[in-house]
Amino acid sequence: MTHHTASSPVISLTNLRKRFGVGEAEQYALDGVDLTVEKGEFIAIMGPSGCGKTTLLNIIGLLDQPTDGEYLLDGKSVEDLSNSKRARIRAKQIGFIFQNFNLIERLNVLENVALPLAYSSMPHLKRLVAASDMLKNFHLGEREYYMPWQLSGGQTQRVAIARALVNDPSIILADEPTGNLDSRSSHVIMEELSEVHKKGNTIIMVTHNPNLTTYASRVITMLDGKIDTDTKDLTIEKPKVAEKKPLGKTSKKAAPKAKKKRAKKAKKS
Amino acid sequence: MRPLLFEHYRTAKQSLVRARMRTALTMTGVAIGVASITTILALSNGITNIINDQVKELGSSVAVIRPVSKQSSLQDLANPTPQNAYTTSPLTERDVESIYELKDTQAVAPLMTLSGSVRKEGASPERSSILATTPDFADIAKLKMSDGQFIDTVTLEDTAVIGTQLAVDLFGTEDAIGKTFLIRGQSFTVIGIMKRQNDPINYNNIDLDSAAIISFESGKLFNSGVAQIQQINVKAKPGVAMADFKQKITNLLRANHDHERDVAVYTGSSIAKPTSRLFSVISTVMSLIAGISLLVGGIGIMNIMLVSISERTREIGLRKAVGASNRTIILQFMIEALIISVIGGFAGFIGGYVIAFGISMFLTYDPAFSWAIVGWASALSVGVGVLFGLYPAIRASSKDPIESLRRYH
Repeated sequence: MTHHTASSPVISLTNLRKRFGVGEAEQYALDGVDLTVEKGEFIAIMGPSGCGKTTLLNIIGLLDQPTDGEYLLDGKSVEDLSNSKRARIRAKQIGFIFQNFNLIERLNVLENVALPLAYSSMPHLKRLVAASDMLKNFHLGEREYYMPWQLSGGQTQRVAIARALVNDPSIILADEPTGNLDSRSSHVIMEELSEVHKKGNTIIMVTHNPNLTTYASRVITMLDGKIDTDTKDLTIEKPKVAEKKPLGKTSKKAAPKAKKKRAKKAKKS
Repeated sequence: MRPLLFEHYRTAKQSLVRARMRTALTMTGVAIGVASITTILALSNGITNIINDQVKELGSSVAVIRPVSKQSSLQDLANPTPQNAYTTSPLTERDVESIYELKDTQAVAPLMTLSGSVRKEGASPERSSILATTPDFADIAKLKMSDGQFIDTVTLEDTAVIGTQLAVDLFGTEDAIGKTFLIRGQSFTVIGIMKRQNDPINYNNIDLDSAAIISFESGKLFNSGVAQIQQINVKAKPGVAMADFKQKITNLLRANHDHERDVAVYTGSSIAKPTSRLFSVISTVMSLIAGISLLVGGIGIMNIMLVSISERTREIGLRKAVGASNRTIILQFMIEALIISVIGGFAGFIGGYVIAFGISMFLTYDPAFSWAIVGWASALSVGVGVLFGLYPAIRASSKDPIESLRRYH
């Protein structure tokens, strides 16, 4: 894709502020956030409740708009974009993963994964084929025609990750992706995410669980709407958790295939 | 754009089928509205067609002269009979004679409605009326006799021609030739029975089925020898241009009446105007009332769409997060509303015709099919869908995705 230029960062935030409420009740959820995200980073954002990390994620995902500050996505300002242009960017450049999965109950797994492609003008059949390919990467090939309620929590979240990846986004935004899962499923999901990361995707993840930050290449902690600490430029000690044997099956076969596909796509555009 | 439209259609179908009971009930609401409008339009078009046919037939040769009535249009409706029996008509025997002398005239019939009762040994049918006219009336009004003959120049003064209904009312049988009855106490002998009339336009303003027709001379005798003419029917010779003929008669009457504009000559559709206007006003009023049921159907759509949207708040939030713009969301829910209203409307259209044919079994005419009705039914169903689907759709699109996604079921 053309927007993956080597020089410019994927995301560049300068003095980002977000105000809620007016007058006496006025408070800043984000109070001057500066952040640069390079392509291929896996960032974990930590912090106590109400520190503004979800707000930050929503603004990066163009679901919310900052009160102040500059946001460059792939080098382009998104400040003055119309509603439909923002929707287009969400459709093509951003993948969301939610804590409560947010699959549509009356659609089967395949249709759920294909959903984002509907908004980038792809014919129905092509969408289903693309979704099917993506599901195979997540070992859910046999579950294509299951309904969401027939899946376990971990499987549901894997479907949601497949959905987030199906439109080949520049960034993947994950808001507490393991918040509703037990620790076993959590690790499976984190293994999947780090697989996704290894294939060259940029991931920004909000989490409460310090154990999960080990999967990230960079950890940011937030406090009162500001970035408190950032592990960038620091050498990270690899904690023991990372040595743990991955619980989910990591597909060695699927990975090169997907990479090849992506390369092909990039060539096309 | 096109794949998206298909996608919307698929999504709408899925969600409508899932809530099939709700969908069916909402569609029924629209169907009832469209059905009632279709029924009314089909029936009123049926009658309009018959009126038009008859007008065409009349228009080519018949002119009707009536006193000008100065009624307001609303009163016209309540009383579509401009020739009021209780006012003195300016039409005179002289007018009749001078029209008869015109070279284009084939037949002239003055109509004189008499007050008074028709009786036979205590039987006195209330609806009966008495008409005095000339033999030409049979020709102009295209009267057909089921038995006997119409009055002519040689029939006696105390003879009468009666309608089938009057014959039954008076004598208990249609076979009444030679029997006698009383008009205002005078004895008349029946010499002919008229066939039943079946025309929706009755430009003579008399129910000929229950009328007794006597000669013009006898009529004058009941009125102290003075003619009291409420209407003159004139038939032109074949091939005469009606506009010219009408003008000639008008000029003639102006001269006769000292240039007072107290009478008017009607030809073509204006003869039937009171009747056809009455029908069109009735059908308009009924359509408006039927429109209320369509309105209720529309409110049903809006209601169900609002429910559906609040149930699917999280879905809307998710769709927005994965790239649906506000316009896309509006379109999605508009299509859903439109599917309900269009299918409902189609069912209503079919149902409306079924009802119309059902009702027409009790009427003397058939409902008419016209593309205008198809147009109205489609326009109304689409209109209802758009009108009542728009607000819920806009509401859906304006939902904040962050808020929506935070919601659990």
